[in-house]
Amino acid sequence: MEPGFTLRLDNRLLELDRLADAVETFGEAHGLAAKLRFQVRLVLDELLTNIITYGYGDDDTHSIAVAMGQEGRRLRFVIEDDARPFDPLTAGAPDLGSTAEQRQIGGLGIHLVRTIMDRVAYERVGGTNRLILEKDID
Amino acid sequence: MQLVEKESGEVTVLELGGRLDSNTSKVLEDKVMEILGQGKKKVLMDFKDVDYINSTGLRVLLLALQQLKKTQGKLVLSTIKDYMKEVFEISGYTEIFPIYATQEEALGHFA
Repeated sequence: MEPGFTLRLDNRLLELDRLADAVETFGEAHGLAAKLRFQVRLVLDELLTNIITYGYGDDDTHSIAVAMGQEGRRLRFVIEDDARPFDPLTAGAPDLGSTAEQRQIGGLGIHLVRTIMDRVAYERVGGTNRLILEKDID
Repeated sequence: MQLVEKESGEVTVLELGGRLDSNTSKVLEDKVMEILGQGKKKVLMDFKDVDYINSTGLRVLLLALQQLKKTQGKLVLSTIKDYMKEVFEISGYTEIFPIYATQEEALGHFA
């Protein structure tokens, strides 16, 4: 992986503004098109929002690491947190075929992540959730 | 997030700008509830200046649509930036929302 960088965020939703800025900087440095920058920001936002909102059973401050890098024509992101074990790959997909009236509100974030990214892998190492995400550049 | 409310005949037009995310979508949700409380049934959301939306923002749109459908109301969307359109497709929203390229075309939906 070419030298990227790692962002450390506290488990507060306002930290997502820093994430947005970091993705913008990363996108500019790597010459990513507007759509790809949006996709990356969205995917990381959805995952971090989930971790911050649902991941912790206490009121303590926790640090979440988000590494961003590029390897040839492939972008690679690694999220590491000490939240409760959660594998996004096991989350059920929302029923997108139902009518507007019947459609369930929720479950969309993880669906977006899995659809937009080309590869997603999860592992629990010690007390850490590690999510590895890859996106091919067209 | 920026939000400007306008009336065009019987249609309530919400011109949106900025980000529709976890920190801002509540503003739109509150506005939608206020509009519904006034008994309005024709709503157009113009995304002309929206540069970011996530699942929290998308959820508010579905909530608004579901509330409006209960009163035979309509919600129409317009002017979504090209780079964001894919997210509306992945979410299945292109199947349940009328989406137009411009606000003028979207207003035609209510004619």
